[in-house]
Amino acid sequence: MPAAADQAYVTLATTDSYCMGALVVGQCLRRHGTTRHTVVMVSPNVSRQARAALGQVFDHVLVVDVLDSGDWAHLYWLGRPELGVTFTKIHCWTLTQYRKCVFLDADILVLCNVDELFEREELSAAPDPGWPDCFNSGVFVFRPSLDTHARLLEHARYHGSFDGGDQGLLNTFFSDWAVKDIKKHLPFVYNLSANTMYTYLPAYQQYGHNAKIVHFVGLVKPWNLCSASQTSLPINSQLEEFVYQCPSQQQSPGCGERPKGTEDRALLIDDFTEPLLREVTLGTDQRPDPPRQLRETHTKPEDVSTVKDGGAKHNAPGPIEEHEPERRWLWEEGHIDYLGKDSFDNIQKKLDRFLD
Amino acid sequence: MLLTSCYRLFYPTWSVNVLGMPLARSMSITSLSGLEEWDEEFDLEDAVLFEIAWEVANKVGGIYTVIQTKARLTVEEWGENYFLVGPYVESNVRTQVELIEPTDPALKRTIDKMNSSGCKVYFGRWLIEGSPYVVLIDVAFTAWSLDKWKTELWNNFSIGVPWFDREANDAVLFGFLTAWLLGEYAAQCEDPPHILAHFHEWLAGLGLALCRQRQLPVATIFTTHATLLGRYLCAGSVDFYNNLAQFNVDKEAGDRQIYHRYCLERTAARCAHVFTTVSQITAVEAEHLLKRKPDIITPNGLNVKKFSAMHEFQNLHAQSKNRIQEFVRGHFYGHLDFNLDKCLFLFIAGRYEFSNKGADIFLEALARLNYLLRVNHSEVTVVAFFIMPARTNNFNVETLKGQAVRKQLWDTAHLVKERFGKKLYESLLIGQLPDVSKMLDKEDFTMMKRAIFATQRQCQPPICTHNMLEDSTDPILTCIRRIGLFNSSSDRVKVIFHPEFLSSTSPLLPMDYEEFVRGCHLGVFPSYYEPWGYTPAECTVMGIPSISTNLSGFGCFMEEHIADPSAYGIYILDRRYRGVDESCNQLTSYLFQFCQQSRRARIIQRNRTERLSDLLDWRYLGRYYIAARHMALAKAFPDTYYYQPHESDTNQGFRYPRPASVPPSPSLSRHSSPHHSEAEEDDDRYDEDEEAEKDRVNIRQPLPLPSKKGPAVPYGLPVPSANGNGDRATKGEKN
Repeated sequence: MPAAADQAYVTLATTDSYCMGALVVGQCLRRHGTTRHTVVMVSPNVSRQARAALGQVFDHVLVVDVLDSGDWAHLYWLGRPELGVTFTKIHCWTLTQYRKCVFLDADILVLCNVDELFEREELSAAPDPGWPDCFNSGVFVFRPSLDTHARLLEHARYHGSFDGGDQGLLNTFFSDWAVKDIKKHLPFVYNLSANTMYTYLPAYQQYGHNAKIVHFVGLVKPWNLCSASQTSLPINSQLEEFVYQCPSQQQSPGCGERPKGTEDRALLIDDFTEPLLREVTLGTDQRPDPPRQLRETHTKPEDVSTVKDGGAKHNAPGPIEEHEPERRWLWEEGHIDYLGKDSFDNIQKKLDRFLD
Repeated sequence: MLLTSCYRLFYPTWSVNVLGMPLARSMSITSLSGLEEWDEEFDLEDAVLFEIAWEVANKVGGIYTVIQTKARLTVEEWGENYFLVGPYVESNVRTQVELIEPTDPALKRTIDKMNSSGCKVYFGRWLIEGSPYVVLIDVAFTAWSLDKWKTELWNNFSIGVPWFDREANDAVLFGFLTAWLLGEYAAQCEDPPHILAHFHEWLAGLGLALCRQRQLPVATIFTTHATLLGRYLCAGSVDFYNNLAQFNVDKEAGDRQIYHRYCLERTAARCAHVFTTVSQITAVEAEHLLKRKPDIITPNGLNVKKFSAMHEFQNLHAQSKNRIQEFVRGHFYGHLDFNLDKCLFLFIAGRYEFSNKGADIFLEALARLNYLLRVNHSEVTVVAFFIMPARTNNFNVETLKGQAVRKQLWDTAHLVKERFGKKLYESLLIGQLPDVSKMLDKEDFTMMKRAIFATQRQCQPPICTHNMLEDSTDPILTCIRRIGLFNSSSDRVKVIFHPEFLSSTSPLLPMDYEEFVRGCHLGVFPSYYEPWGYTPAECTVMGIPSISTNLSGFGCFMEEHIADPSAYGIYILDRRYRGVDESCNQLTSYLFQFCQQSRRARIIQRNRTERLSDLLDWRYLGRYYIAARHMALAKAFPDTYYYQPHESDTNQGFRYPRPASVPPSPSLSRHSSPHHSEAEEDDDRYDEDEEAEKDRVNIRQPLPLPSKKGPAVPYGLPVPSANGNGDRATKGEKN
């Protein structure tokens, strides 16, 4: 396959927890029968076990020195300190053994074969839902070039990044993206942000099922939502939830309806990521961020209005196991066994325990 | 022939035992006249009442009206110890609440404590009649606790709430917050008072269940104003009342995806010390759908404004009727071939639910009435108004034109009159009697001819006053097309569909709802599903007769309290035990009968109707709430309070043999014989005062005075009939 040999998908993992996302990316690409190489860049702090797991899925695992933007005040102000690390991203331009690459963030989910992306030119990317004149740097097509890489570093040194992350840098570097060539605008379905879908609900309902790549932007990542001790069910339901629950925070009429196709998507996630995820979490002997932390990030002042329904989706620790959390989740999803276990007679028995 | 059959339909209704479910209640109070002050025997010194509802200072639906109108009476009873609890909604607070410091020290401590634990609780006065205190809780602010609370809900009740049901999630937050408030308040009181918490509707119900589960020292009352499932089932055109006992309620609720809400509602009903609903018919519904028979019925009242002049409402009727007549003159311009003085205005109003509100059988009955009036060569014309808001694209040109034409004719007539008057004046000035033939000159005639020419109209008067957006599928218009009531000149029944709420600023019919109702002759509300029904109650207090059904709370209530409701202008249609066609015949016969009445008979009937307004006043109906509260206190604090349940009258039920000692109420049949002439009127002796006195006897007395704990003799239960009738007998003799 000559066409494929000089083209590759590139992703990046800077911590062990991002490795889980990277694994999913690699596995999805495989599963959808890509003909291109797959490369994962990892930072030196990623554990050996995680690298090994990645090695099973990717063609190449590259260790890359972390470049830090150094703009700490800026980053702090933005409240996303972990983004500084993604400056490592621009190292992808040094992969000159490939003629053309598609970069995929580790927090995306590929839903079908997207090899047609390689027909695009540098720099093709999808608009960012928050400011559509900027592209979102979670998915982009580029041509590796040491020259470009050097100019990028230079640009970073002189101009910094207006959002403290790679996206600000790349957007000022490729500043004519918004206006020059419409072919470099990837359709939104190639980078559908999971938690902004509902800002235009009817469009989401119309087109959402066409999604090819879903991007879990923001602080809460799907792999953060499960802890190692939990069984397959929470992983499934939480990933599933993540796909269409974050949007539910902005309640609008009819949002209870699920767009077509999400069901399959959830199953798909569960099918093949779960064993891998477990392998990583066990192998690295490092538990992912506990839910507690997530909750805190959720209740930042600017989040107050949205916390209401979404802020508390995960199981609280404690005696929940005795109370059949699975059944509660089924209620939460609207699948209630009202003719069986959940019948009111059973509820009434519970009530009558405290009523004389 | 036809009439006899109508009457046969008419009479048997009264002997039907309406629901066959007697509720705990008895009668005794002597009379309604002036409603002597409620003799407060209950010692409420150390009791505190919280009334909790999602619609406190927050208008969403009808519960708001109930709570808002009832507040004054409750404040009078409980004073400083009455607190309404609702959700904090900023826009509402800005317009209807004055925030103040909590007056009660324990409540102040409670609110401070909650506010320092991550809640936002406000205290103020609700700026309505009675200015009750309100505690308003910002539900969204505490959303961070949602997951914790939902876990608790799951662990204690095995009820989950789907994440996508915003309202239900709000109910969870509101429930936990109100239970927190009550629990904290109980803890903050040095001397634990007797806390009474009255919860309305499922949205507030979880708070009640939590009070019970946490074993808080709180007496609880739960009132549903309709059941969730009942509403859903009726909306889905299910043969509801005939299958009431057969529904598999879990399945029905589950299939309609309201299972979690239904569970919350049923849990509250199950846990409450006292469970109440607003009407007999809803009681039956609750008994079957929530599986608990209400302990007492708490009907909804109104704040009746009394006019100082006795018959002021009759004058208002005349005034408003004139304005409706003006509208009708314009609407039917070019086709005014009927006598407006023999024209009766009927109306139906409410949410646009075609069959639930009974618009279907009303239309059908109008078609039959049209036929009856025609074959009987009646001079009466009926104009039926449908005031039901639908989606429209503003007024249609034809109706607006009608009003403009009418205005023009009026102006022309005025102009001619002026000129006429001037000539007359001039003629008199020179000392001559005017020559009538010269009073109108050619110019006048031209002007008048031109005006008449403008009233030429090719088309028939419109049915609908607005341009409907869904004209071809609109249920009312579709039905009218089918039954062919097109306002043609041969029709004795004309129909006007006004698909918008009335407003005094409308260019078409500039009246507000109240004025409009006053100007009509009869309100028609043949609803199939109507837990209470404020519309006929509002008619009644304005002295306008109405037709309701025995499936509406109002109809049940009236049927229970009045021996011969139709004599008082309260026609009650049987839709419970009859098929649609039969009900429709009955409705037709009521309407026909109403059309046969002379003007004088209608005036008398309006007087009688208006007298019933006492019965619908909160001053009177509030007693049911009082009884419910006493019942709850007695159940929760048996050591302190005592309430005598009146079992003895369960065997009495409520049947309608008219008490022997009571003079028969004025019979309607006299006025409604078909060939009734004005001359016979004079034989009809009518003494308003005398009759009013009789009425007081005729109106059933609803409730026992609840009695108090302690040595006071438990409410003596003389055989109710002996007590009541004995009383009445002596009264009758005095007269």
